[in-house]
Amino acid sequence: MSAARAKANFEPLIELEMEMGTFLSDWDHCDHLSSFMARMISHNRTDPVRHSNFFSSALNELLEVTFRGGLPEGRIGCTVYRQGPKERVKLTFPCPPSQRQFYREAVSKTREQDAYDRYLDAISNDLAPSREVILLDLAINFEAEISLEEKTSPSITLVVDLPLEGIIS
Amino acid sequence: MSIGALSTPYQAEFDANSQEFSLAGVIRPRTVDEIAASVTALRHAVEGARGVLYINVKRLAQMNNTAFHAFARVVLDACRARSDLRFVVVTSSVVGWTERMFRHLGKIEPQISVEVYDSKFYPGQDFVEDTSFIPILRTQTKMTWRHERTILPRHGMRAGIAMADICCGIGDFAALVRKEFRPARIVALDHSRASLAYARNVAAEFGITDIEYTYGDASEMLLESDQFDLVTCRHSLQIFNQPDVLLKELFRICKPGGRVYITNEKNSHCLGEPRSQSIQWTYEEVAKLFSHFEMDVELGPKSRRYLADAGFEDIRVESFMVSNLDGDPQDFADIIAAWENVYAGEMAVKRGDSPEFIRRFRQGFQDHIFAALHPKGYAGWPIWAASGRKPL
Repeated sequence: MSAARAKANFEPLIELEMEMGTFLSDWDHCDHLSSFMARMISHNRTDPVRHSNFFSSALNELLEVTFRGGLPEGRIGCTVYRQGPKERVKLTFPCPPSQRQFYREAVSKTREQDAYDRYLDAISNDLAPSREVILLDLAINFEAEISLEEKTSPSITLVVDLPLEGIIS
Repeated sequence: MSIGALSTPYQAEFDANSQEFSLAGVIRPRTVDEIAASVTALRHAVEGARGVLYINVKRLAQMNNTAFHAFARVVLDACRARSDLRFVVVTSSVVGWTERMFRHLGKIEPQISVEVYDSKFYPGQDFVEDTSFIPILRTQTKMTWRHERTILPRHGMRAGIAMADICCGIGDFAALVRKEFRPARIVALDHSRASLAYARNVAAEFGITDIEYTYGDASEMLLESDQFDLVTCRHSLQIFNQPDVLLKELFRICKPGGRVYITNEKNSHCLGEPRSQSIQWTYEEVAKLFSHFEMDVELGPKSRRYLADAGFEDIRVESFMVSNLDGDPQDFADIIAAWENVYAGEMAVKRGDSPEFIRRFRQGFQDHIFAALHPKGYAGWPIWAASGRKPL
């Protein structure tokens, strides 16, 4: 994370936490949680309805990534912050050591120069989207800046900055 | 077909006549198997298509990557197998992410293009969304409000409700309602970015922060179903080429037991004295002119039928006459002058009317202004207010 970004003053908007086992018990939790949180944080955006729709789309993908790789131990936490036209999602979930490298590489690839080519290649050839492609989707279609925090072992935290207010306007 | 396997049902339909495959609603499957029937339907649509196949996603509120990849796979495979076939993906300008996602397909296969569904798809919308019309819209609302503030409580307006003002224009009606009736929530939606920008500026100037202005297509809204106690839609069914489609959406977002309130005109019934004949001729021509652009400004008295056909009950209809006696007659005259500019100065010209017709057409408006400003004159503009209750 850059120094400037670390200093940025993101204000917390909403925080959610639940047992991973409960989260993983129903796929629809991704849809329901993303829709609910999107509506809650969008009400005072310039265009609340469209912001909510856009934000829900991005958050749902993140929750689906967590769901697909999730283990039924520990807790999942999702906090949304705001700084000006940007929302920051911090999604914390248990991650076994074997998957940490995968997330490090997937996050790193969202910032590489060939990210778009790899994204197109995945749409063109893959039968189903991998978790890596979903992070690429967020970086490309939602202009997300994605980073990883590993301070809270055995959990990791995906940090996703979404400049959706600017995109919608 | 409506598919209910997912928590939120979505629709996937193919219209063979227009070669259009439509996806609508929320599609967030865990696996492709959950949407296999729809993917197969698209594959069959491709097999039978000739020339251009339209993929309509303008009513698609949400789609996850699993679904996107599955449907994209079918289209991309088809491009590789069928060089004779083109694909046009029709997205909505309201749902921003759809255009962003689907546009990538054209980068992979040039046979795929994306068209953004916008106001240009509606006949005549350029006229009604013209920013030069904004000042006069304020005057119109000021004059109709004198009547509507007493009418609205009979149609479900009260304090504490959740309401939506659809086709809110410059948002002045929503602001007046907020002040007068104190609803708990107001969502105000319009398809004109210029009008919404104006509405937001006015709201900011007056320190109003609790009206949710949103850009949207009234006939295909992102708003969820069954959430408003009162849905208002003023002077708008009459300028949509498919008022029944719009009314269906108003019905959808209204709570069961809530009401939908609409106002519309019957332009040929605009009147004035003196010079009544000239005035009457011009407004009969106004109705024909709008009809040419697929808008029905005679809709007012048809409100009862439209509401009944849309499934409403307890339908209430009343009418009121905005006149030059409502406050300053100059306000009324200003409205007519603005109508003349748009109807005679733009719409009639676009229809290709002769200078002679336009001169006579303009005269009726001038005579209406004359009647409005005449010390003993009377000039009227009749409006029908109607509402229906959504059954429980």
